[in-house]
Amino acid sequence: MDMKEKWFSYAGQIIRVDLSRSKIRIEDLKEEDVEYFLGGQGIATKILFEELDPHIDPLSPDNKLVFMTGALTGTMVPGACRAIVAARSPLTMGWGEAHFGGFWGPELKRAGYDGIIIEGKSKDPVYLFVYNDRVEIRDASKLWGLMTSETERSLKSELKDNDFKIACIGPAGERLVRYACIISGERAAGRTGMGAVMGSKNLKAIAVKGTGEIEVKNPDRLKRDVARLYPLIMSYPPTQILSSYGTNGEMLSFYKYGDVPIKNFTKGEWDGIVRIEGKNIVKKYLVKHKACFSCPIGCWKHVRIDEGEFKGTEGRGPEYETAASLGALLLNDNSESLIYLEKLCNDIGIDTISTGVTIAWAFEAFERGIITEGDTGGLKLKWGDYKLIIELVKMIGTRRGFGKLLGEGCYRAAKTIGRNSIEIAMHVRGLEIPMHDPRAFKGMGLQYATSNRGACHMQGFFLRIEQGERIPDLKIYRRINRFDTKGKGWMVAVIVDWHEVLDALGLCKFVQIYPGHVAGFYSIATGYIKRVRDLLLVGERIYNLKRMFNIICGMGGEYDKLPGRFLKEPLKEGGAKGQVVELDEMLREYYEYRKWNSHGVPTLEKLEELNIRSLVEKKVRELNLKIHFN
Amino acid sequence: MFSEKELKREIIRVMKVLYERELISALGGNVSARMPNSKEIWITPSGIFKGDLHEEDLVKIDLEGNIIEGFMRPSIEWPLHVAIYKKRPDVNAVVHAHNPVTTGLAIAGIELEPITVEAVITLRKVPIVPYAYPGTDELAELVAKHIEGARALVLQNHGVIGVGYNLVEAETIVETLEEVALTQFVAMLASGKKKLRLIPYRDRELATRLYRM
Repeated sequence: MDMKEKWFSYAGQIIRVDLSRSKIRIEDLKEEDVEYFLGGQGIATKILFEELDPHIDPLSPDNKLVFMTGALTGTMVPGACRAIVAARSPLTMGWGEAHFGGFWGPELKRAGYDGIIIEGKSKDPVYLFVYNDRVEIRDASKLWGLMTSETERSLKSELKDNDFKIACIGPAGERLVRYACIISGERAAGRTGMGAVMGSKNLKAIAVKGTGEIEVKNPDRLKRDVARLYPLIMSYPPTQILSSYGTNGEMLSFYKYGDVPIKNFTKGEWDGIVRIEGKNIVKKYLVKHKACFSCPIGCWKHVRIDEGEFKGTEGRGPEYETAASLGALLLNDNSESLIYLEKLCNDIGIDTISTGVTIAWAFEAFERGIITEGDTGGLKLKWGDYKLIIELVKMIGTRRGFGKLLGEGCYRAAKTIGRNSIEIAMHVRGLEIPMHDPRAFKGMGLQYATSNRGACHMQGFFLRIEQGERIPDLKIYRRINRFDTKGKGWMVAVIVDWHEVLDALGLCKFVQIYPGHVAGFYSIATGYIKRVRDLLLVGERIYNLKRMFNIICGMGGEYDKLPGRFLKEPLKEGGAKGQVVELDEMLREYYEYRKWNSHGVPTLEKLEELNIRSLVEKKVRELNLKIHFN
Repeated sequence: MFSEKELKREIIRVMKVLYERELISALGGNVSARMPNSKEIWITPSGIFKGDLHEEDLVKIDLEGNIIEGFMRPSIEWPLHVAIYKKRPDVNAVVHAHNPVTTGLAIAGIELEPITVEAVITLRKVPIVPYAYPGTDELAELVAKHIEGARALVLQNHGVIGVGYNLVEAETIVETLEEVALTQFVAMLASGKKKLRLIPYRDRELATRLYRM
């Protein structure tokens, strides 16, 4: 194909690094991939599906780690700051993907690249240096072992330039903790263990600086329309809460719905909630509001503790997911410990959701006598013991003692221990459940069960619809009941497809821009005219291709499940009292709408409709697989 | 010959007037128009300040709601606009505003009466459309049902609709609605009565015959 002469909003190039052979190659971004997959995780899906044998060991040199920026990342579209990272996940053994905001993605684009594909494994610790057209693999032996914040500091001082944006792993990634994350300036690509994949390649960090411009097709128009939509964006009530208090500002509101998981999803009420919710934390500890690139909201709250046990702790305040997973889920009501834990998890480089849920599994197993001090190395596990939680996090990060088992994630830990402890391991496809109880918002249950990366709240965040939000652009007109199931099959599917679009464009989901306006921004910025329905089709294509990746990994419809607790054990109190998730009804409707067969496999007609049939059939032939599509 | 460019300019002018006359608010109200016999309409965008729209903000959609030209999100009320055009080939302009007095009277359960010549000749009959949530297909269906034989509608708990062969006509209807509603309201308030002096029957009958209502 002819090389495109000029790109708008895209950089037009991808870096390919082979760490085994220390080779670097610059490739052109394919216009065809942009048309069919937009950018971000969309293009990463295409690359990994095409190039990877999904059966490889995720922590072997055979895995590929793809960093991609979104199609609009780095432009002035509000929230266009996101980058993604994808690979086969060592946590779920299926499709792995994590997203992060901050400034790294825009910087990479300014350097002239839409993404980086990392292959192979370096013999010694290295970091990747990217400064415009200079791309080098450099020695990182001095950085190995450092916390993420130290890594960033050291690297900037080594480079004698504070403008470099760093994405790096901490000790957990180096030690292959299965839910290790990648950190970039306190922003985390949290889920599915992408940090472990990076660690398995001996890649400590990627330092990026770019001095180029990200050009858009019609800058005047973009500037004008962004400015004029700004009041609408800021008038969305959750946005205002995010702006004032951050993500944890909504905890009490979620709590009223019975949505905040308490004591490993076994309780609906807990008086500690008022001590860990974000409004009080912000009022007491806020130093300043921070914001990612191109963000008008600034949900990032920089906090500091000036006295007491955690004196001197300073950094990003606890996000909702952290405050819930290391707080309510474990009955820990010590808010200062949560500020400390957010910092500690980021420094070590582990996903706070998986950490909390795995510890919760251990606490409950200990309480029930399923595991004993014999298993924990003498530790007495006790709900709410924040000192113990901190100790366990440190043990996970260094894979010490009982931390070694916990570093495997709740699913593997439960499989290792046996004794039916899998019953209380809260996961889907091996990914720990995020902090929204699907008994409070049943569509969230369907979203968790069918999300390609395992239990994921962000690829849809369907609870907004169940709270009463309407999106006429997506034909969601009516206020729906959060406990109903009818109609949720198609609605969840549409919302999930739309979120694939937002991810592929690199837009933050906390910045509420209606689909029609998103399509407008994409068209104005890139010069490719796309309407909502064109974008939705791309979203559906990406989602289905990931699904095929999972099916090839052997993780099809039989994995569309929820932990038994959500299906059989209603909470006895709180806003979701008496409710269980009627998953099967919703799943049937979902499969039907998606045109999947009864085993959850997309039909060939559907793949054809999405223009990925030949791509899928080629892969199936190459790997000599038998898949029943109809 | 009247051009598409002029049509767009006219939409902008009408929106400005409606905003200045306080018949729409910063983010409320919408207007559409088409070239006679066209299957495509120009409509105002959603979510952008209505007092200062520009021609390039307008979106061209077909009667299924597909965007043909323009970038921004079309008004979320596009389903009711296209429902009217589908039902009424004679209509080339639709104005939807939030006339406070007209809407207020309907909320109080009071229908507009033939109290002025404008009320009789310009508005003729003004059906009240039962409440349905804005932007829904349900509202569009209700509007389509009531627009037959009418040029003005009141949307219960929502606002008003005026339609016409062109934008000036649709605009006139929306402004007249408010004028008549206000006059009627003053008359009722001043007299303390619900029964008002109406235009004589013979003149109303004449208008009925003249306009084949």
